[in-house]
Amino acid sequence: MNGSQRLDSLRAAGVEFVSGVPCSYLKRFFAGCGELPPSLFLPAVREDHAVAACAGAWLGGKRSLAAMQNSGLGYCLEVLTSLHLMYGMPLPMIVSDRGDPKDYEEHRILGQRTRQLLDLFEIPWLEARPGMVSEEARWLVDTSERERRPAVLLVGKEADV
Amino acid sequence: MTRAEGVALALSLLADDDIVVAADGAIAREAYRAHDRARTFYMLGSMGQVASIALGLAMTRRERIVALDGDGNLLMGLGGLALVGGLKPPNLYHLVFDNGCYATTGGQPALSQQVDLAAAAAGAGYPWARRCSSAGGAREGMKAWLSASGPAFLDLAVETADPAPAPRIPMTPEQMAERVRDALGRT
Repeated sequence: MNGSQRLDSLRAAGVEFVSGVPCSYLKRFFAGCGELPPSLFLPAVREDHAVAACAGAWLGGKRSLAAMQNSGLGYCLEVLTSLHLMYGMPLPMIVSDRGDPKDYEEHRILGQRTRQLLDLFEIPWLEARPGMVSEEARWLVDTSERERRPAVLLVGKEADV
Repeated sequence: MTRAEGVALALSLLADDDIVVAADGAIAREAYRAHDRARTFYMLGSMGQVASIALGLAMTRRERIVALDGDGNLLMGLGGLALVGGLKPPNLYHLVFDNGCYATTGGQPALSQQVDLAAAAAGAGYPWARRCSSAGGAREGMKAWLSASGPAFLDLAVETADPAPAPRIPMTPEQMAERVRDALGRT
């Protein structure tokens, strides 16, 4: 693997710090993260710690991004609601889009409700599409900064570029 | 020593440019009452994330980051202890006010009465991790903690009694975050 076009585009859009927990749908993205200097990438042990560390890095002055499997949104909910949404902290998020009917059982229940979950907490989201990597990076960073809240790019297996 | 006295003592020993993360609940309110400072981030929720927020700060700042944590709070987010111990940010100083219970919610017992938090921190990889159980030795314990090589962890035993609860902090969450960002200089 030679880096990640999506990570490069997000860096070009202003992202300075990344934390997250890997997903097999985001192998290329996390391979790119692994090539970042250690001070710019925090491999977390659970998704709620990743988004909390992003809040710390943002307080410290860095534009921060969290990346995870959509199952991790469940772990994050308390932190997203009582930290980012409550304090008005921007947080661009790369979230894998698992849970279609052909996917494994463990991904279906939360996966098929990911969009409803984000809508319920008024977290803007966008589905990644082929050939739109730069536009999606700018949308993600600009939306979260303008609205001072998390924003999510849902990334399917084919969109991990 | 009460938790509030311990919080006030810790804040009195810090340098002006130290950045503090104060745990949600009583610890943040006591920190505000004892010594409000623009470089303190007051947590209101997201219990269990004190070390993780401090780690994000430690990775992006050169200053010393001081995490003022609680025993129940730390137990809720032990993964944060693994992250700090594993990644070893040298500028992170982690202090737990250990009263053995969930004081904010009515004093229900916490498992910190059975679990050795300093041993957990050492096991996670903190190069310096101690428990300070003597009420009279709190000042010396904190001085040793702050002069150790980081990341350093101190589990400070405090009284369960909470004789004078601190009031809520009269700032909105947005004001709390903006003030820290302004004090640290926006990029």
